[in-house]
Amino acid sequence: MSKTLSLRALVFSLVFFPFLVLGQNITGTVIDGASSMPLVGANVIVKGTTNGTTTDFDGNFSLDISEFPAVLEVSSLGYTSVEQTLNQAESVTITLQESTTSLDEVVITGLGTSIKRSNLANAVSSVSSEELVGTTSQTTVDGALYGKVTGVNITSSSGAPGGGFAVRLRGISSINGNNQPLIIVDGVYINNVEIPSGLRLASGANAANEENGANRLADLDPNDIEDMEILKGSSAAAIYGQRGNAGVIIITTKRGKLGKTKINFSQDTGFNTIANPLGMRPWTAQSVEDTFGPDERDKYEAVIASRGSLYDYEDEIYGDTGLITDTRISGSGGSEKTKFFIGAGYRDEEGIIANTGFDRFSIRGNIDHEISNTFSITSTSNYVRSNSSRSFTGNENEGGLSYGYALAFTRPWVNLYPDANGNYPNNPNYSGNSIFVRDNAKNEDSNNRFIQGMTLKTNILNTEKNRLKFVLSGGVDYLSNSTYVYVPETHQSHPDPQNPGFIAVGNNDFTQFNSQAVAVWNNDALANGDLGLTTQAGVTYLYQDRDNVLTTGAGLLANQTSVDNSAVQNVFQTRSEEKDFGMFAQVEGNYKDQIIATLGYRLDKSTRNGDPNEFFGFPKASLALNIANMDFWNVDAINQLKFRTAYGETGNPAQFGSTFTSYASTTIGGPVGQTLAGLKGDPNIKPETAKEFEIGFDVGVLNNRINLEATYYNKQVEDLILTRSLPGSSGFTQERTNLADLKNTGVELALSGDILRGENATWNSRLQFYKNTSEITRLDVPAFAQPGAGFGTGLGTFYIEEGQPVTQLVGNIDGELQQVGNVEPDFQMSWSNNLTLFKQFDFSFLFQLKQGGENLNLSRFLTDLGQTSPDLETPEGQDRLDSPTNALRFVEDAGYLRLREVALYYRLPSKTVEKLLGGNIEGIKLGVSGRNVFTVTDYSSYDPEVSVNGGAGLSSGIEVTPFPSAKQFYLHLNVNF
Amino acid sequence: MKNIYNKISYIGIAAVMMLFASCTFDEQVDPNGPSVDGVESNATIGQLNELVVGVEASARNGIAIETTASGTMARELYLFDADPRNTGDLLGKNGIGLDNNSFYSTSQWNGSYRCIKNANLLINAATNSNAVSDEERRGYIGFAKTMIAYELIQMVKSYDRARVDVADENNLGPVLEKDEALAEIRTMLNEANTDLTGATFLFNLSAGFNGFNDASSFAQYNRAVAAMAAVYAGDGGAAITALGDSYFDLMGDLNNGPKHLFATGGNDALNGLFKLQSTTVENQNNGDQIIVHDSWINDAEPGDTRVANKAALRPDPTASQDDLVGAYETRLYASSTSPIDILRNEELILLYAEASMLNSSPGDAVTALNVIRNAAGLPNYTGGLDDASLTTELLNQRRYSLWCENHRMFDLRRFGLSNTLPIDRAGDVIYNTLPIPLSENE
Repeated sequence: MSKTLSLRALVFSLVFFPFLVLGQNITGTVIDGASSMPLVGANVIVKGTTNGTTTDFDGNFSLDISEFPAVLEVSSLGYTSVEQTLNQAESVTITLQESTTSLDEVVITGLGTSIKRSNLANAVSSVSSEELVGTTSQTTVDGALYGKVTGVNITSSSGAPGGGFAVRLRGISSINGNNQPLIIVDGVYINNVEIPSGLRLASGANAANEENGANRLADLDPNDIEDMEILKGSSAAAIYGQRGNAGVIIITTKRGKLGKTKINFSQDTGFNTIANPLGMRPWTAQSVEDTFGPDERDKYEAVIASRGSLYDYEDEIYGDTGLITDTRISGSGGSEKTKFFIGAGYRDEEGIIANTGFDRFSIRGNIDHEISNTFSITSTSNYVRSNSSRSFTGNENEGGLSYGYALAFTRPWVNLYPDANGNYPNNPNYSGNSIFVRDNAKNEDSNNRFIQGMTLKTNILNTEKNRLKFVLSGGVDYLSNSTYVYVPETHQSHPDPQNPGFIAVGNNDFTQFNSQAVAVWNNDALANGDLGLTTQAGVTYLYQDRDNVLTTGAGLLANQTSVDNSAVQNVFQTRSEEKDFGMFAQVEGNYKDQIIATLGYRLDKSTRNGDPNEFFGFPKASLALNIANMDFWNVDAINQLKFRTAYGETGNPAQFGSTFTSYASTTIGGPVGQTLAGLKGDPNIKPETAKEFEIGFDVGVLNNRINLEATYYNKQVEDLILTRSLPGSSGFTQERTNLADLKNTGVELALSGDILRGENATWNSRLQFYKNTSEITRLDVPAFAQPGAGFGTGLGTFYIEEGQPVTQLVGNIDGELQQVGNVEPDFQMSWSNNLTLFKQFDFSFLFQLKQGGENLNLSRFLTDLGQTSPDLETPEGQDRLDSPTNALRFVEDAGYLRLREVALYYRLPSKTVEKLLGGNIEGIKLGVSGRNVFTVTDYSSYDPEVSVNGGAGLSSGIEVTPFPSAKQFYLHLNVNF
Repeated sequence: MKNIYNKISYIGIAAVMMLFASCTFDEQVDPNGPSVDGVESNATIGQLNELVVGVEASARNGIAIETTASGTMARELYLFDADPRNTGDLLGKNGIGLDNNSFYSTSQWNGSYRCIKNANLLINAATNSNAVSDEERRGYIGFAKTMIAYELIQMVKSYDRARVDVADENNLGPVLEKDEALAEIRTMLNEANTDLTGATFLFNLSAGFNGFNDASSFAQYNRAVAAMAAVYAGDGGAAITALGDSYFDLMGDLNNGPKHLFATGGNDALNGLFKLQSTTVENQNNGDQIIVHDSWINDAEPGDTRVANKAALRPDPTASQDDLVGAYETRLYASSTSPIDILRNEELILLYAEASMLNSSPGDAVTALNVIRNAAGLPNYTGGLDDASLTTELLNQRRYSLWCENHRMFDLRRFGLSNTLPIDRAGDVIYNTLPIPLSENE
């Protein structure tokens, strides 16, 4: 019984504490080393026993101890645990220091259980609230993760406020299907859909994923998050079965703690500004004439003569400073029985383009209530209203809407400003006037979202050796989204020139419902309970439906913005319904915290599979050896040495509709008819299955002052579902079926240390390194250009080919297909630092490095064609114009080094606060911070993090005139009452 | 201890019972569209007629790109729009080759074969349906085969080859060379003609087929397509015979013939060859415009009314894109819902002229060419009756009668004259055949 410590022991001891022992009473106080403030809710346990308690709201505890000397183990989430020896009954003060990686923190890994980090067999990354939003203000959860987790790759498809991110864990796990991790917030499966607006029908973009919409994780306020756990691979996520292929992100929101009610108010005020303006081609009269002829030179000279300079449309369109405000107030607290957290936040963010922005109002109520020793319930409620206005960027065809596309052809001596009567001139060199579009056209969406989770825990049995509980939980995520696209009838270009003007109104309803029943049995086996066995078994059910209705109108009445004021109306509807059902069982054995082994199995079926009632099995097994806990270990300097290995399988069913081969409706001036929809479905489609093997070790030196985590993984995805091009002569253009295998291997290293631990200076630093390489190991069909991921081999495309990385870019170079690049980075690194000086100043910064990885910069294709690329006054630029417009010409290295976050905070000393404002205020914190402060890169466009195809599938690394990225600066005020 | 294990096993049993009680999922049905299998066995007349609409509607697929791509390659027009490949690849800018995985090579191929697949599915559905009599069944099949044949001819024109046997998507036949493909196409047309004889149409075609919407009048369209195939195959005799059974009429309305209709409905399509007219320098439409190649204007005989009917001077004739310039822009279609002729009498008269030349009847050829010339406000042909002179005259009349209708590139290719085209920019290359799409795995 040397070091057994777990949550269940704690619960057990709390429940049975009154009956256990009577001894001498000791009292003490636990304080936070950084702030010297009392620490509420810290666990205090007499080592080697189940005798323990938690500190009250003044940080005080009291314990009866029967035998001396006794060792007190004191721990708290986010702090390094401390052991203190007591030789007699006395009063003690114990100081806990914050830790970057706390080995004692509890990690949720099963569906009904959790495990201490020090016993974990997988490299599960945790991100605390402090790491997520503690440095600077964040708009979205996924955007806040940059540089904070090993093994993650984040792609941004738009710099518009409100995001547009794709998170990939350990490489690509699906080529056409879902690559986004499963996101679970307080037990509720969250919808992270990217909702198309029908904008493509006005702009001529090729597909819905070129509309660059936001993914709806944007609705979750990052400030509500207490903790995130990231199960990156199949070995960690196996218990999630066929929803776990792309990894799982488990988010826990803030909850009330025992103690007096705390009120927190915080205000962030900041601004957005373009991160990296590209500038204008430095035209001369001669170069204008050489390029466009003498007529244009006359126009150029006329403008120079009349206003002294050219029109800087990049600055005009992207040069705004967008104000950001983020206001939050929350209250939390609780008694022994009932704990609560209520909070509300409002964020309003303007973009760098006029009339763009994002705002989100979020209100949350989290309640935990213990009905009796047997029953407890928790409820998590979150209502969100968010709105965004994203305007027009990215790819298009003749829409005249996308700013970057239009500016590529806009000559800076052409006046696009409205005249005195408000009439905007046509753009003579492109199909749209960007100033007109910015001022008059709209692309907006709004969301009403309600997320509710419920858990009922029943302690069925509580004996010395056995504890059995039954956990029933469920949740619903209801999202009602509406989109609105408006292009006035006075715009230059129209999809239907006879019916100018365009409106698209989308009404999109999404309902997700998940429920789960788990029985968990804790059994202390062997003679003295040396072997802790945790067995769980249960069932899960997931239901999702969506109903998307898009109504469009063309031929608008003058100045009218409603769809019924149009001459030609169309309606499109898309529906889907999915159901998943799974069963699972898992046994975990813990021998004296020395050997921890887990075996588990999950069975799943889904209506998205060919046979909706066929079960697929997903096994898992893992082993962790805590060498430093073993009896023979006598190296004091190394307090942790753990070898761990894990294997697990997960799945991913085909996306909805893959089993169907269907007709679409069509007409030709008369009754409705049927035409083949072009996608050949597979009625026997199986889920993609990933098998991952992970091995690694963790070392903790000098009582965890320095920690190293090293992990290698090998993830094989089998039966990949591919949407491949069929020979067009078959009448189908695409087929979706199981066709390939894919291998991802990678290394993740994380080194963290408390470099300084002084009274007046502490410094935590964390250095991360990770890399992933992929290879298609089987392909049943000839190599093919991935539809919808690129613009064909002429300009470069993702190309699925056996023996090659799944992320390779291939182009047609002089008639031969050739690999021109690979969007996968060679490796990525991040370096985060937190310094606290004189207990009052916090300085933190985060650097992120992406080495290698290529992009196809097709913005340059357009600016070259329009002769507006900034470098065209140089001989190199001119030489480029003479080279063929193939993929080789546009591929660029997309590596970068970025100061992702930096902040300085000042905490007013509590005495000053008391003197100034009286005793009601506990603490005041002031700060300044910046996000994306600077970037070092050779990439020639706005931001190497880019994707014209949104977040789905393979998307990343192909650029067509995106919404430029912004940098942000903030002032912060935080008050605790 | 026993007790505990009992309790646990009770809970286990309860859990297992819950599993059995858990729902069995129903077989899934696509909520967004009818399934292909549902129509293939025992279709109703309503379903068959829906497939007919699908065939006719999908015959419009890819028509705009097909026309502008071949027109650009044949230097009769430029397409100034957002996609730079329209003025780059298609003109071989800086020597760049044509790509077999770009929209200009894939859209028309995929579009035509979609229509062909719809027609093949219709043939299957009609064959397997108990709802129709033999005469009615032959109506569906004759219609479908004729539509397939027409689409296959478009493939030969663009790609110089075609995959003819495509009924089974899992066992596609070979891609045939032009002559072989045309032979198969002609056989198919003759089969369809046999099917149509005495058949009954239970279905209505769109108003674009007014005058060709029952079995016997549709057969006239079948013969017109057969005449076209025969001429392309160099079989003048068969062409003359087929023309005799078609709506070919030297005295008749040149515009008579079936048309593709366009409309603004949700599931309908617009005429992609219509471009907004430029009226002033300020509102000149340069961003999405079909520019007439200057040589088409400059080479026209004075007084040819087709020039003024089909093209108009641009307000700013110097406006360029990608170093290309043309003073005139298209006026071929008045609106985005203007119909596009599938095969009009004017083309049949030109086919008659060509068939007559193949049959060594230059007099008949001149008669036909004069009909065309006179209709365009030009005097009778006065040139020589030798083959070379007549060929020049024929190609010239085709060039002006069928401008921007997807003929010029094929006409020059089949007469071996592609290399006579002008080069507009230094470094440009002339191509006269599109590459077969990459996805065909050739």
